[in-house]
Amino acid sequence: MDEQTLRTCGILILLLPLGGAALAGALGRPVLRGRTHWPVILGVLGAVICSFILLGQVRGVEATNSHSVTAVVSVYEWIATGAEAASGAAKWFRVVFLIDPLTCIMLVTVTGVSLLVIIYSRDYMRENGHPERGYERFFAFLGLFVFSMCALVLSGNFLLLYLGWEAVGLCSYLLIGFYYTKPSAAAAAKKAFLVNRIGDFGFGLGILLIYLTFNALDYETVFAMAKAGETASGVPLTEGRFTAIALLLFCGAVGKSAQLPLYVWLPDAMEGPSPVSALIHAATMVTAGVYMVARCGAIFTQSALAMTVVAVVGGVTALYAATIALTQQDMKRVLAYSTISQLGYMFLGVGVFAATSAIFHLYTHAFFKALLFLAAGSLMHGMGGIIDMRQFGGLKRIMPWTCLTFWIGALALAGFPLLSGFWSKDEIIHRAFAHNAILGMIGLVTAVLTAFYTFRMVFRAFHGPQRVPEGVHAHESGAWMLVPLCVLAVGAIGAGYANVEFERGGFLGCFEPGGSFEEFLNPAVIAFERGAGHAVAAADHETEYAGGGHGLMYLSAALAILGIFAAWWLYVKRKGIPNRVANALPEAYDLSYNKYYVDEIYDAAVIRPLRGGGRLAFGIDEYFIDGILWLVTAIPRLLAIMLKSFQGGSLQGYAVTMAAGFAVILLLMLMA
Amino acid sequence: MPEPVTSHYIVIGAALFALGLVGFMARRNLIVMFLSTEVMFQGVVVNLVAFARMHNHLEGQAFALFLLVVAAVEAALALGLVVLLHRRKGTLDSEAWAAMRG
Amino acid sequence: MSPIVAYLLYGLFAVGAAGLYLALPQPHPASTRVAGLLLGLGAIVGGLILLGARAMDSGSTNVFFYIFAAIAIFTAARVVTHPKPVYSAVYFVAVVVAVAALLVLQHAEFLAVAVIIIYAGAILVTYVFVIMMAQQTGSAQYDTRAREPFVAVLVGFASMAAVAGRIADPNAMGTVAACEPKATMPANVAGDAASEDTPTQDDPGNTVRMGRSLLGPYVIALEVAGVLLLVAMIGAIALVKKKLPAEARGESPVVIGQVGKEVKPF
Repeated sequence: MDEQTLRTCGILILLLPLGGAALAGALGRPVLRGRTHWPVILGVLGAVICSFILLGQVRGVEATNSHSVTAVVSVYEWIATGAEAASGAAKWFRVVFLIDPLTCIMLVTVTGVSLLVIIYSRDYMRENGHPERGYERFFAFLGLFVFSMCALVLSGNFLLLYLGWEAVGLCSYLLIGFYYTKPSAAAAAKKAFLVNRIGDFGFGLGILLIYLTFNALDYETVFAMAKAGETASGVPLTEGRFTAIALLLFCGAVGKSAQLPLYVWLPDAMEGPSPVSALIHAATMVTAGVYMVARCGAIFTQSALAMTVVAVVGGVTALYAATIALTQQDMKRVLAYSTISQLGYMFLGVGVFAATSAIFHLYTHAFFKALLFLAAGSLMHGMGGIIDMRQFGGLKRIMPWTCLTFWIGALALAGFPLLSGFWSKDEIIHRAFAHNAILGMIGLVTAVLTAFYTFRMVFRAFHGPQRVPEGVHAHESGAWMLVPLCVLAVGAIGAGYANVEFERGGFLGCFEPGGSFEEFLNPAVIAFERGAGHAVAAADHETEYAGGGHGLMYLSAALAILGIFAAWWLYVKRKGIPNRVANALPEAYDLSYNKYYVDEIYDAAVIRPLRGGGRLAFGIDEYFIDGILWLVTAIPRLLAIMLKSFQGGSLQGYAVTMAAGFAVILLLMLMA
Repeated sequence: MPEPVTSHYIVIGAALFALGLVGFMARRNLIVMFLSTEVMFQGVVVNLVAFARMHNHLEGQAFALFLLVVAAVEAALALGLVVLLHRRKGTLDSEAWAAMRG
Repeated sequence: MSPIVAYLLYGLFAVGAAGLYLALPQPHPASTRVAGLLLGLGAIVGGLILLGARAMDSGSTNVFFYIFAAIAIFTAARVVTHPKPVYSAVYFVAVVVAVAALLVLQHAEFLAVAVIIIYAGAILVTYVFVIMMAQQTGSAQYDTRAREPFVAVLVGFASMAAVAGRIADPNAMGTVAACEPKATMPANVAGDAASEDTPTQDDPGNTVRMGRSLLGPYVIALEVAGVLLLVAMIGAIALVKKKLPAEARGESPVVIGQVGKEVKPF
């Protein structure tokens, strides 16, 4: 790999979107107006090209071991500490890129999906052809986001990672609160930022602990030491230390990737425009947590407890979110919970030492989830801003393309065989079963539920009698929106085949999972595969796919089809059943519909005490501290009142005072 | 004739001065106030002459003479001012001028 | 000098102060005032007796001193405490005469006469004129009330005690207590009454000596005093000059050159 090329491409990937964002921000309102999308599109296009160049560079290397495919490119020294490189302490003030297969996959995904979303936004952010208010701002923020996400992914040390982490959080806040005049949007943005902050606090502590333990912050040094099991000075590292670091880092992942218990911001984040939901809250930002855990495999795999925690949190979240999605009426909310659920799958994958599968799912999920969100956005755009499923129906004829792309995305999400979602989800379920039967069962049940609620949405929105809300001129969307949808649809169908080998004797006769994607990615996440260190994989990763090993694949395919069929039955054929079921189990329905009252619980248990504490502090400040200050100022005032009497204005009074002074002096002089 | 001790004169001078001081501070009539200052002058004169006698020198007496001149000057000007003040307010009360302005 | 005398002295001062306080014009009945005056008188007398008793052993008592001292102090107290300003002025004349007598006792005859002429003759007359002009009523409302009498008396008597009490202290600065007048004249150590009073060739008398010293060493001060008097005269006139109505309007009172014909300078 040519280091110069790598460095240039890395810098361009960062600076081109940023430059586009800067141009859009500076010149958008005064000059560019309706053409503001061009700088950002061009910038991100440049980033896409550079990502592919990087991919080509990395692929061109013979993958002998993990080191050969990894390039650490130092960009510049930010603060030079002067300490010697041996201790590693001098290195962490540098801006460093680490470019390996994981980076390349993430970059391609991020920049590719971003480009499609930006192109889509050009039409979405318009009403009747005129740009909405804040059009320029939107594209500037999108460009900023792409820069931040790429910085996160490209970084070669924890510092730059944290920078990118916080920056994507900021962009999320800015974009969720895009319609800032709407109180619910502003509140949702605040909620997202604050909940993320809680996670980021743990994340920050984790990074500090890494520095304390390893005395360095760049990946190379830290992971080498972690693998060796001792620090540079020869002090052995305990599993407890690894657990602590891993769990703290995982806090950040829980916040950013919306897992239990910090997921509450993601459904509310749907207040932002649909492209934002598609890009940030489906395809890229929320996957940062998964990326981070995969990257820090060397640390996580050294702690059995951490891995268990990751897997359990992921699995439970997946199931939990799916149960909530069953009853939601707002399509975007359903998709949001679906995202939480799929992220749970990814963490489940990482937790069972299947990092390649998790990243593969991340990659395919980016395609079909972005597709679903964009299609839902297209529907919303056509419906004049209404996305509540109860208000419309049977839109197949009005919006054929939207319907078709939505169908493709839904099939992929549900795990319909031969689409991308099927390949990735199935791998995770497979590895979960290999690790622990319960986790595998959770995976399967969630799969059924996913298929069900997804097609519940599809059938209610597009099939059945046509219903359009009052006064809405329903129409299909324009080319700027449809073309990205189609591209994503192609991706949703075909992206999975990157990891499929065509062999005899495989699934359905010719498909064999575990292809070039996995091979490509493997050296980057070698820590998970080897299972070295304190934690050991419950079973070897080379599960047999031959013969009966395909049974699970057939089972999951069947479950997906079952879920789709159940949705069709309940929402097309026999429409009355869902209502009867809901009435029969009112408590269950309420729990699910009200999201298990988690928001209310948080409000009562956390927010109110904090507010009360705030009021207490305010009271102390106002009465106690200000009271002390008042006392301090009261002294001069008291003195003034006492001294005031000396200046009465009457001559004789002054004479008396003078004479009194004179007498005192005389007495002192003559008598003392 | 035997002469009293200088210290006695000092007591008398101090008494006259103190009485004049009390009058200046206690009385409200402007004229009486200035009259009290004249009483203070008397006390001073007595003192000065007593010390002149003690030192057997005429300096004290000369001083007292000039003091007399100054007292006369001061009386003239002070009474002129009192007349002016009286014209302003129509009263000889010193409290009439006790208000602090501004 | 024993401490008893000192305390006695201070006690008498206190009594005198109380008397003065009671005597000051305040809204209490006349009897209280009279009582205060009597108290004061008693204090004066007591004090003078005390002083006399001390002086008795040194053989330098002179009954006239005590008489005139009592008169001076008492009338000064009346100046200060009388409600009617005219009476205050008249009592002041008495003070001046008593002080003049004291000055004569100190062989300062010229000064005594000067005091009488200037004070009683000139200054007092002016005061009486102004009182008559400004205050037709004998005693106005503000004359019948003293202003902070207690503090004033306290302060005044504190100062007096400070000064006068020195004589009771044997370690006084400059040994005031031991102050004795030096030999009056070169030839009259024993105190020959006749030669003291009549001017001789050696001792021309106080007036001549005063004149010689005024025109000798103190001539500049004399001239300055003259200028001071002139300035004061002009100042007093300028102060009190009333503006004519025309002047108050801003015009000049006398139009130059309009009376008769043009007035040429020189």
